[in-house]
Order: sequence, then C-alpha cells, then structure tokens
Amino acid sequence: MATTTAAMTLTSDLVSAPMSISTTTTCMKAGTEADGLDQMDTGYLELASGTQKNLLDATTLGVGKANKVYICNESTDETYFIEIMINAMVVGKLYAGDWMFLPWSAIDTDADIEVTAHTGTNKITYTLFHEGRTLLAVD
Amino acid sequence: MAITAAATFSSAADDLTSDALTLSVTASLSKAGLSTALEQTSGLARTNFTVGGTTPFTSKIIYRANDATSNGANKVYLKNMSTIAAQYFTVFIDQEQMGRLYAGDWAFFPWSAVDGTEETFIVTIANTWAAGDTWNFDGITTTAANSTVADIAAQIHAQNYPNWTTSISTAAVTFTARVAGAAGVVTGTTAITGDTVTTADDGTAAITSGAAGTRSESDIIVVPSVATTMDLEHMLFKQ
Repeated sequence: MATTTAAMTLTSDLVSAPMSISTTTTCMKAGTEADGLDQMDTGYLELASGTQKNLLDATTLGVGKANKVYICNESTDETYFIEIMINAMVVGKLYAGDWMFLPWSAIDTDADIEVTAHTGTNKITYTLFHEGRTLLAVD
Repeated sequence: MAITAAATFSSAADDLTSDALTLSVTASLSKAGLSTALEQTSGLARTNFTVGGTTPFTSKIIYRANDATSNGANKVYLKNMSTIAAQYFTVFIDQEQMGRLYAGDWAFFPWSAVDGTEETFIVTIANTWAAGDTWNFDGITTTAANSTVADIAAQIHAQNYPNWTTSISTAAVTFTARVAGAAGVVTGTTAITGDTVTTADDGTAAITSGAAGTRSESDIIVVPSVATTMDLEHMLFKQ
C-alpha cells in the first residue's frame, strides 16, 4: 500500500500558555483504512499579477474521493498573495510564505481549483494527492 | 506574538515515487500584506455531531464570516477525530463543497471570511411617555422609569438583546444585528417587525431609519456522514 503521511504542527503564543498542536494523518482512499492515496500531480508556476489560472482541473478526478491539495505561495514579498477559489467561490488568500492543505471533492466539472495572483508575480508550488484520473481518449 | 504552522508530507521509497519523498514547509502566520503576526484566535475547540434524521444530516456552521475580518489572512484548522474509516465530514464554504475530511484527516486553509451586512434600524423615543410605559423588542421589555425620552432611550440601550447590539444618541437608539443576514426584521426604511409600544399617553418608538441586511457567503459549514456521534477538532486564527 502506498503510504503518504501528512503531519502538521501549530505553535502559538497568542494565549497565556504557549500552545502546540501536532497531528498526523495517513492519506487514505475514500472510506478505506487499507488503501492509501497512490497518485500525485505536482507543479510549480510563476503567475503574474492579475492573472487567473485553473490550477487543478476537477473534470477527470471523479466525485467524492479523498483527494488532498497542497498549495504554497513561495513568494517572499509580504504584500504578494494569491486568491484561492473553488468554482469561483473564494476560499481565502495565501500570502507570501503561506501554505494550505485541503481535502477536495471535485464535486463536479465546475469545481476546479483556481488561483489569481495579486500585487506581483507570485511563485506557487502545488501537489495533488489523489486516487486516479479518468484519462481522456485521444481525438 | 507569533504563530507558526509547519507541515511535512512524506512517502517512502517506491510508494508514490521511486525515491523517498519528503516535503516540508513552515509559515509564520501574518496579517494580510504585513509581517506582523495574526493576533487573535478562536481557541482550540472540539464539536460533537450527534444528529438525527436521514441523510443529508444536519449541518453545523463552524465559523461564521462575522467571526473574522473580511479578506483578512485568516486561517482555519479542522480535524476529523473519528477512527472509523468510512466516517467523514463534508466541508463547505457557503454552498460550495470543498472536500471530505475522512477519519483522522486534517485540513489547514486560508479563509477570506467575506461577510454579508447586518440589519440595522434606529428607534427614536418621542412624544409623551410616562413611568411604567413599555417597549418590547427581541423578547426584551423595557419599562420606563420616568417620562424623559432620553432616559427611556438610555434604558433601552442598557438592555442586552440576544440578537442585536445597540448604540445611543440622545433619544435615538441604533440597533445592529449581531449576525449578518436578511433576517426579515427590518421590513423597510421606517418599519420593523416584532416591536410593541404600550403607553398611557401618546408616546412613540418610531423607526426613523432602517436597512435590511444581506447574508454572509463564506460561512464554514460542516456536515457529518453519519447520524451517530462524530467529533470535529477546529481552530481559527484571525486578524
């Protein structure tokens, strides 16, 4: 079984006692405990300010899977950010250095993950962990 | 103050790739466009979902857009505490499904928290009031202690309303809904529903200004996959 582990630690001194949360999960296929996500797509792009791009296409992934998406804004200028959208619904903004890890249902063909760059040319890395695609036939 | 979010994604050799894969990232969570740290948090929470009925089961709003600064660099952490592989939470932003968190899965993502607008109206105490007259709204009854309209307005302002906050200017009290939405209380620029004046003379509590609200379109909503008990761990970092 392919085993992909996603671990995270959050530390904060916002409250009176320093806080640290650590969590680890093994990324499994939907509803199973013996079959891990075994495929991935990864990439890097530089996106000019004002440019929108479909970062990940929902069309071929299938509905209701346990896909996971990692996106990091590798920019270093703190004013640079990318806006993350699913089907044109704004999820949030990843500022320089920020990252996200999100489950993605790819619920229909419109549920692409889109990014729009702001302020400057943003540097973006991304990885999709998934269960497989329906490959399209050659025309 | 500082908040650090670190993640590592790893896979052994010949699992996802022929060689072992490790991807590590660390971020200091800062305010939008600044190098200063986020300063507020909802605190770590655990919410139980034990719901009735049939699928789709009852959802819960984990965070309302009201809870954070719109278009801020807010971050949300979610974790499905279940250990049963088939149990998952479906995570929505408003009506848009983002994804399913299966047993043990966690998520960490930015949240723009684009808010709607709160309903608001102004009630102005006027004409002749007497001690003992009342004004009722939102389940709260204010009984005039004397006949001075400014004093009665101050009494109304001093109440704690379950669904509204207030501010005051002389005899005019401005009500603002605690949560954004088109709740239907404000029915026009000079009319609301649910207020009652009881006066011995010709005292009035006229609505002198009002504006309907609009609903938020980025509340974070979670739906469990089963009606039996499931727990969600969650935390919000916000500006």
